[in-house]
Amino acid sequence: MQNKFTKLILAGVFGTTLALPAFGDGHSYGPFPITLKGYSGDKTNSVSYSGQIARHVQHDSLKKLAGSGNLPEMMAYFKGSDKNKKILAPASKGDFKIKQTLLNEISSGKNLSGKSYKGLVNGWPGGMTGVEVLEHMINKAAEHGSAFDPNTGYNYPQLISKFAMGAVFYNQAVDNYLDEKLGPDNKPNNKPYKDGAYYTGKEHSWDEAFGYWGAAAHSLNLTAEQNYNITKMKDMAAADHNGDGVVDLKTEYNFAHAYYAASYDKGGKTDYFNTVTQAFVDGRKIITAANGEALTNAQRSQLYVLRDIIGQNWEKVIAESVFKYAGSVYKDIDKLQTIIEANGDTTKAFATYGKHWGELKGFALALQCGKNNIGETAVKLNRMMGFGPVLLNSSQVTGVDSNGNFIKDEASGWDEYKLHMLKIQKLMVDVFAVKARANDQLANISDLSAKLGGSNSAEND
Amino acid sequence: MDLLNFLFLDSLYEFFNPKKRIFIGYLLIAVLIAAFWLVYFRKLNLREAINKIFDKKILFSKSAKSDYLLFFINQIIMSVISPVLITQLAIATALFYYFHSVSWLDAGVWNNTPLVIIISAFTLFHFLLEDFSKYFVHRLMHKWPILWAIHKVHHSATFLTPMTVFRTHPLEGVVFSLRSAFTQAISISSFVFLFGPQVDIATILGANIFIFAFNIAGSNLRHSHIDISYWKWLEYLIISPAQHQVHHSVLKQHHDKNFGVALAVWDWFFGSLHHSEKIENLKLGIHINQKEDTHSLRSLYFEPLKEIILIVIKPLTKLKQILKLIKFTLIGVNR
Repeated sequence: MQNKFTKLILAGVFGTTLALPAFGDGHSYGPFPITLKGYSGDKTNSVSYSGQIARHVQHDSLKKLAGSGNLPEMMAYFKGSDKNKKILAPASKGDFKIKQTLLNEISSGKNLSGKSYKGLVNGWPGGMTGVEVLEHMINKAAEHGSAFDPNTGYNYPQLISKFAMGAVFYNQAVDNYLDEKLGPDNKPNNKPYKDGAYYTGKEHSWDEAFGYWGAAAHSLNLTAEQNYNITKMKDMAAADHNGDGVVDLKTEYNFAHAYYAASYDKGGKTDYFNTVTQAFVDGRKIITAANGEALTNAQRSQLYVLRDIIGQNWEKVIAESVFKYAGSVYKDIDKLQTIIEANGDTTKAFATYGKHWGELKGFALALQCGKNNIGETAVKLNRMMGFGPVLLNSSQVTGVDSNGNFIKDEASGWDEYKLHMLKIQKLMVDVFAVKARANDQLANISDLSAKLGGSNSAEND
Repeated sequence: MDLLNFLFLDSLYEFFNPKKRIFIGYLLIAVLIAAFWLVYFRKLNLREAINKIFDKKILFSKSAKSDYLLFFINQIIMSVISPVLITQLAIATALFYYFHSVSWLDAGVWNNTPLVIIISAFTLFHFLLEDFSKYFVHRLMHKWPILWAIHKVHHSATFLTPMTVFRTHPLEGVVFSLRSAFTQAISISSFVFLFGPQVDIATILGANIFIFAFNIAGSNLRHSHIDISYWKWLEYLIISPAQHQVHHSVLKQHHDKNFGVALAVWDWFFGSLHHSEKIENLKLGIHINQKEDTHSLRSLYFEPLKEIILIVIKPLTKLKQILKLIKFTLIGVNR
């Protein structure tokens, strides 16, 4: 009886704790008060990054369309549209109800093309800028008319999506909002971000970067598994933080690289999601605490430390993805070789190989859209991967002609390409010190080495 | 002091690690086997047998005491040296990469082999490769003067105890480390390349099943005064403790015999096999009249180095003499 009573009390206390609002508990991105001096409007929360969420939605919808062959529709999501476009993804699935169905319910007048990486992309044929590469991919996808082109081995939805995440979200955040816009003379904190805004220059710059990261505002209160399952649309309870029965894409959903971070963290070896998201929350608190005054050098230095934590961990998340898909491609080739040897039907396995290769390529290109030039690493990565996957007839895309059509030539053999995948995995470990190492093709070798154990004592048998 | 404490404890850990020869379990089994042997075959009563096994004159001999010291000191030296030696992982990875670039080798060709066969094959292959490479390196240790200079430390033991395995010069430890790294790398990289990621090793208490069997069969007795011998036919296949004791004998006819560790087949094939003999009080060591000084730490650590320097310098002094002669001849001609 006494036991039951204790349990009841404990349940009560625990339940109350859980029910406490997350706002202001240090674990949520917002709300944060208005600090802008002289603001007289009725806004109470200075957090704003709906434009970024709109771009996440445009990206997800574009990915969904990329196998349709419908160029005008794809372009409407890539370059923006006057019409209030439908949200194709993420869309409600079963019990997982999404609050918004139209893009303008989030933000209007947004596009991906205007925010895409303007630098040269060396890992894609044709010597094009980031935005040109995306447009080229979209055009080719439309030309081909379906997701996978066995002739080149390209899976367009994967290529477009994985590259866009880097060329738009990662690049904008780490190379713009967390870079020049953090400087003392750019978007100062004692002025509105732009005329008429209710948030300061620094508040909004930081918010925009957080928006591109893609984590839900309350996500720090959840486990990696829960955060992962939100994007997989499997955990309504975790997503619907305010309990209104719908998932608000603006604050309750995990997009893009934040989702990938959670996917690695749930393995338990890394903590990318919390590290980056917490740094964003901590940075926003520093800016809020400046209370509408220009940031001091000390405050800016603190932000720079957090900015570096964000940048480095975000980069690692992309490097983990390169690692993971290099491993997938290795395994896919193994499977293909077995099927070929047995004279079996390669259609399905070849399409899977193309899909994983598209992810690998997209993430590898994304990795090159950061703030820093990764130099030799990029050269190695691009050379080992080539412009296209090695095809069944041992050819590979090697360039584009003057009309932008792919040119193919003889490639190195399968086994050499597999070796390249191993070396790409090693490169990610050596350069970015990735830890989650999904699909580690050398894991067995290191496990066995550890199991057999080195001989570190002098013994005469 | 903390570091020393730590190293001391680390050394003691060897007694609790079933991957190690001196694991307490293996030592206990060795005592039981020895007792059974002495009572059943040598017809001693149990008390006599126990007294013989734990013979104080042997366990506290100068030779044995230096074994114990070397065990601790080498542990410290090796903890400094080992981290800079190439690892089996580095070699295995390099080999694994290399195999991919060999055009006539296909990665994962035997991927579909049943798991039990893969594990059995890997475990057996690795055991055989290890045992053979130990035989081969041991043979070299005896045949090459520079290597013999350092291996002599082990042979300078005039009494054998299970701790004599640690009576080893650190330079020899380096040679053994590299041998182990290379053989592990060869087994791992070739098997993972051919059989894919499901390769594994069959172990008992973490030790290779064959090594475990070797150890519970009384491997510790090879370095002891209990001269257990096997049937003649079996000594062609497996080295008996008495056969290894013969390897440590000072008698000329026993020199360079029985290099093997677990298997005798290598000695048999390469002509170095010697069956056990019934010799009361077999004299062990390097020379018949071995000096007591050979058990001092100074001698154990520095004598080999001195000897190596002499071996290297000797041809150099000869060269110097030749050069002198040439110079003399040339100057003579000029005159």
